Amino acid sequence: MNNDASKLLAEQLRQLVQTIQASGRAILPSSNDELLQTIVEAAARLFGAAAASIALVDEKNQTLEFRVAYGAGRAEIVGMQLPVDQGIAGYVAMTGQPLAISNVQQDPRFARDAAKKTGYVPRSILATPLLWRDRVIGVMEVLDKIAAPAFGMQDMELLALFARQAAIAIDQSQQFERLSDALVRGIKTLASADPSMSAGEIFAALERTGDASDVIELAARFYAIAALGDAERAMATRMLEAFAEYARAKKVTSGG
Amino acid sequence: MAGDAALPAWSNQFAADARRELSALGPIGALTREWAWGNGTGKGVRVAVVDSGIEADHPAVGGMVSGGVVVEFDARYKTQVRIFDDAAPRDPFGHGTACAGIIHARAPEAELYSVRVLGKDLTGRAMQFAGGLRWAIEQRMHVVNLSLSTSKRDYYGLFHELADDAYFKNVVLVSAVNNISEPSYPSLYSSVVSVAAHTEQDPLTFYYNPAPPVEFGAPGIDVRVPWRDKSYIISTGNSFAAPHIAGLVALIRGKHPELTPFQIKTVLFACASNVTRDV
Repeated sequence: MNNDASKLLAEQLRQLVQTIQASGRAILPSSNDELLQTIVEAAARLFGAAAASIALVDEKNQTLEFRVAYGAGRAEIVGMQLPVDQGIAGYVAMTGQPLAISNVQQDPRFARDAAKKTGYVPRSILATPLLWRDRVIGVMEVLDKIAAPAFGMQDMELLALFARQAAIAIDQSQQFERLSDALVRGIKTLASADPSMSAGEIFAALERTGDASDVIELAARFYAIAALGDAERAMATRMLEAFAEYARAKKVTSGG
Repeated sequence: MAGDAALPAWSNQFAADARRELSALGPIGALTREWAWGNGTGKGVRVAVVDSGIEADHPAVGGMVSGGVVVEFDARYKTQVRIFDDAAPRDPFGHGTACAGIIHARAPEAELYSVRVLGKDLTGRAMQFAGGLRWAIEQRMHVVNLSLSTSKRDYYGLFHELADDAYFKNVVLVSAVNNISEPSYPSLYSSVVSVAAHTEQDPLTFYYNPAPPVEFGAPGIDVRVPWRDKSYIISTGNSFAAPHIAGLVALIRGKHPELTPFQIKTVLFACASNVTRDV
C-alpha cells in the first residue's frame, strides 16, 4: 500500500470513529478486566458495601472464576475458581436468582472456606446474576453493607438492574475480545498482504464479513492503535490488509 | 409514601401504606383460620420442594423427609432429563433446606419430598426444573413449593402446560415471584399461588393482593432459615415467602382433603390478614 493510501485509510478511520462518537456510542475500555473493575467499584460505592466482586461463568468447565474484586480480600479472591454446584455464587449462577444473606458466618462451610482462602469472612452478602439474553454470564457480589446489618429487598432489586447494564457491557466487551482474538489468529495463518490493495477495498472487504457494528468496533480499535504513532499505524494497516485478504479469500472459497 | 420507597416493585403492594383492606362477603366471609387450619399438623399431606435438595438430617425438618429424587439433564432422553431415586437426600447449597424448614415449622407432620433439580451442570437447568416439577405432579403431591423460576420465554409454554396439568390433577403449586423485575414462570400463571415477600416477621401474617399476578405476600425479609451443614442463616428473598404459604396450604389440605386448588385459593383469600371477615 502506498503512503497516500495509508493516509486515506487513517482519515477514513478517523471519520468513522468521529461518527461513532457523535452517535453517542461508548467506546469500550481496552481490556475486559478494566471494564469489570470499573463496574465492581461502582457497585461497592453505590450499594455502600465494604467489598465487591465479579465472577464469570466458564460453561465448559462448569466453574465460576473471580475476575475482579474491590475492598477486603481482593488480592486473594481474584483468580479463584469455584465449581458452580457450590456456595452462594454457585446457587445464584445456577438459578439466575439473587440471594441476600446477613449472618453468613453461621454457614460453617462458607465461613471456613472463606477464612482459609481469603482471610476475610463477610457478615452480609448480596449476590445477583449477570444475565445476558437469558444466559447467566456471571455473578456480582456486594459484601458487608456498611450502614446496615444486611442488604435489603430494594438493594436486591437495584443491584439486579445495575447488573443488567453491567452484563450488557461485559458481553459487548467479551465479543469484541473474541473478535480481536479471531482476527489475530487469522492474521498469523495468512499469507502476506497484497501491497496493491487500497483502503477502499479493505473497507469493502470488511463490510462483506458480516455485522456492520463489529466492523465499526474493529475500525475504532485499529484507529486507536494507529493513533499511537507511525510504526503502530503501519502495523494496524498491515493487519487490516491481512484481514481483508482473509475475508476475500474466504468469500471466494465459499463460492460467494 | 416512605414505606413504598424501601420496597421493590413486587413487594410494593404489601407495604402498610399501599395495602388494600378487603372484605370477604357471604359464605366466604364466614370462613375462619380456625376452620381452615386450626389444630392442623399437615398429617397425611405430601409436600415436594423442587429446589437444591433437602438436607434430610437437618433438625429443622424434624426427620420428615420421606423421599426424594435427583433430576439430571440428559439430552438423549425425550424429556431431556434422567430421574434417580435419592435414598438419603442432601442439599449442597442450603436453599431447598431453608424452604423445607419453613414448611415444616408450619406443618410439622407433613411429609417432605426432596426434588433436587440443581446440580453440577449449567446447561439444561430449565429442563431439570421442568422435569422435577413433572415428577412431583405425576406423584400427585398435595403441595409443590417452587422457590425457583425461569425467565426464559422459550419455556413459557412448557411450564404453562405443567401448571395446567397440576391444576387438573389437584396438585397445588406455590411459586415464588422472581427477585428480578422481569416476568418469570410459572409464577405468572393464574392457576398457581404466587407469593412475594412482605416486610413483617410474624409467620402467620400474609396478605392478599387484589391486583395480581402476585397474589399473596408472606414473610421473606431477614428470615431465619435452616441452611446446609445443620446451620441457620438470616436471608432475604421471595424464595422464603413461598414456603410460608406452602406450609399453610399443607395445613389446609390436611384438614380439608376435599378442597381443590381454586377452593384453597379462596380459603387463603378469606383468611388473609388484610381481609375483613364476618366473624
